[in-house]
Amino acid sequence: MIEKGKISASQMGIMMYPTIVATAILWVPEATATRAGRDMWISPILASLTGFLSVYLAVRLHRLYPKETIIQYSEHIVGRILGKGIGFVYLLFFLQLDWSILREYGELMVGQFLPRTPMFVVLGSMLLVCAAAVRGGVEVLGRAAQYFVPLFILVFGMISLMLFPDLKPVNMLPVMEKGILPAIKGAVEPLKWFGEFIVISFMLPFLTDRERGMTWGMITVIATMLTMVVINLLVLWLFGEITASLTYPYVEAVRYISIADFLEHIESLVMAIWVAGTFIKIGVLYYVLVLGTAQWLNLSDYRPLVYPIGMLLVITCMWPRPNLAELAIYLKYIAPVIGIIIQTLLPFLLLMIALIRKRVTNGGKAVQEG
Amino acid sequence: MSEKGSPQAILTSFLTCISRIRKRGAREMNFPGLQKMSRMLLLLFLCTSVLPIAGCWDRKEINDVLLVSAVGIDKKNDKIEISIQIVVPKATGGGQQSISGGGGGGGGGVNPTFVNSATGITIADAIAKLQEQISRKIFWGQMKVLIFGEELAKEGIREHVDYLARHPQSRLRLHVFVSKGKAADILEVLPPLEKSSAESARELALSQFGLNKTMKELLQMLKGEAGAAALPRIEEVPPTTGGEKDHTTVRLNGTAVFKKDKMVGYVNDELTRGILWLRNEIKRATVTIEPSETKGRVSLELIRAKTELIPQIEHGTWKMTLKAVAEDDVVQNATNLDMLNPSVLKMLQKEAKKDLENRVYLALKKVQKGMKADIFGFAEAFHRKYPKQWAAAKDRWDQIFPNVEVKVDATVYIHRPGVSTESPALPKNEVQQ
Repeated sequence: MIEKGKISASQMGIMMYPTIVATAILWVPEATATRAGRDMWISPILASLTGFLSVYLAVRLHRLYPKETIIQYSEHIVGRILGKGIGFVYLLFFLQLDWSILREYGELMVGQFLPRTPMFVVLGSMLLVCAAAVRGGVEVLGRAAQYFVPLFILVFGMISLMLFPDLKPVNMLPVMEKGILPAIKGAVEPLKWFGEFIVISFMLPFLTDRERGMTWGMITVIATMLTMVVINLLVLWLFGEITASLTYPYVEAVRYISIADFLEHIESLVMAIWVAGTFIKIGVLYYVLVLGTAQWLNLSDYRPLVYPIGMLLVITCMWPRPNLAELAIYLKYIAPVIGIIIQTLLPFLLLMIALIRKRVTNGGKAVQEG
Repeated sequence: MSEKGSPQAILTSFLTCISRIRKRGAREMNFPGLQKMSRMLLLLFLCTSVLPIAGCWDRKEINDVLLVSAVGIDKKNDKIEISIQIVVPKATGGGQQSISGGGGGGGGGVNPTFVNSATGITIADAIAKLQEQISRKIFWGQMKVLIFGEELAKEGIREHVDYLARHPQSRLRLHVFVSKGKAADILEVLPPLEKSSAESARELALSQFGLNKTMKELLQMLKGEAGAAALPRIEEVPPTTGGEKDHTTVRLNGTAVFKKDKMVGYVNDELTRGILWLRNEIKRATVTIEPSETKGRVSLELIRAKTELIPQIEHGTWKMTLKAVAEDDVVQNATNLDMLNPSVLKMLQKEAKKDLENRVYLALKKVQKGMKADIFGFAEAFHRKYPKQWAAAKDRWDQIFPNVEVKVDATVYIHRPGVSTESPALPKNEVQQ
């Protein structure tokens, strides 16, 4: 195996939490509010179904091929050529996922805090740190996550408490006045985030306690879902109808905090923690991309790929989609479709084929396909 | 930052170089010194890398930044005049502050704030012109107060609100006021007590004798279904003894009522209390009642209040009940009544209830019937309870609202009589038993 490090199932869960939540807290409130309005808090619950499905698929596939990642076993399932094709699709998908995350990070940093700093500097410095972590391997990422996630949760909890005096829960009424349909529409976008749980397919082979992979995967989905629901409720209770017209409702909510005239302007603290979360997110996806590429090319080490792929990421990031409006369109309409096809449907098909083939071989009618 | 080469490229090559040295040092164990050296190099590199990351291109030194504490927007002919109230950092020493403008800082003492104005066709344009006059970079992050001039408010505020809601430095917790007269005049006031007139305005709003509206709430009202908004109105109070501008103060006086985004009228201070009751925003109030049974007045201070709007649609008529509960303490007793007598208290409670209801009805008469602006949140209340009927009637709300039948159902409890029972300044034999 290329990766020699080992992580525990709980470390995997802790790594996955910021991988999903870090960008979701920025984009999910606005996206769900636009489509679901007052029912925005129901949407993540509906969307989390794909999360459970993705974890289930990844774990089932993992049990069939315990030492391999999705790039490798797709070759075993559908044959070499088609398998390589699927692997390539995954690599392209993770490439676009990784640069869109990187770009989202850059957009927020440049848009809200550093308007005159070139995007290249913001992205490049982030990527450099991630590259160092990725070279360290899955263990380093796991440890880093273990260090940052408790801080992340602590700050998040503190923020929620500090917003309390300004919350107006009546903003959420009437619940489901136009039926469940708006909530379903609102769930379309978070699907993409929950679909990202397929990433655990790249971590499951390195677990020390494999049997707990499913448990921790599911726990993480629940934690993620709850976080999104709480954030959506917080911004809904605070902003009500104007939520949809704010670019980053959660950041605005944090900026709105003012306790006893001196505990205010604390968004820099939140941003520091948020950057740490994004670091984990970009690191994990970057790692998956590098490891996947090495496996796809049958290399013996993934480390030489880290910097070249990093360059590629920064370049792809800088070059398409010149403004935030287009990025938003992409995230709203294109990304969910691609996401659900590649993150959920494709693994589902793979699992089906694998199960059928297994039954066929076990039944004695060993039909070998090309 | 001066060097504009690509620091990232240098960094990358540097890192690879270091890791190569480290690996070699580890591999060839007979060169332990090399490993130590690479560690030193890494440390040196980490230390120096701190220098350029202090904000990159957006680095701002505190002495290049100009802190804006409040902004005022006025109409000037067909253009916009924007005035900013600037905090003069005292720590830099009084002698250097030679740029003081409108505030007129003369003599030895330096005024804590001064005002600068510029005219433009939009806020953004005016602010760009303003920046041209000022040597330091305007920083909006500490801005706490926004004042619209009365004239501008009558023409509509939506387009101006947009700039402030969009600017990344400005905050949604920005207290918004409408001034009587020009907004710039309010900014120029140098109150003796607070650092600036903006600060006094903010503190006054927070004390909640009147309305307290932030940018967030303004946006909510402008976007809301009621199609109306209410903002506190601020005015100058000239010094009582007749003096200079630095003895002037500001006060909140009444409410400016907006329909859509245009100011349609003004409600005075007394009726504002009625509005506060209807909006469940009343926090502090002192009520003085005149009991009919006896001479003199009793003043009550509000301790706690809670109100609730209960909408009702019956056979096509829209009704609203305001349920209000108030808990009061007695603060002044100018009558001959004994405040420990339960029947006296009962009578006072009844009087206070009547006073409260009356106040609400007066406010309703002026705002609901007169201005026809739903600043009480009736639309929201109906929407929440009757989503279906609301969806059908939403476009006709302008016609429905003035005809909503409002009933006020108030309960007043008087809990404590203060520290004296009957008036201690009254001879015993005159106390009514």
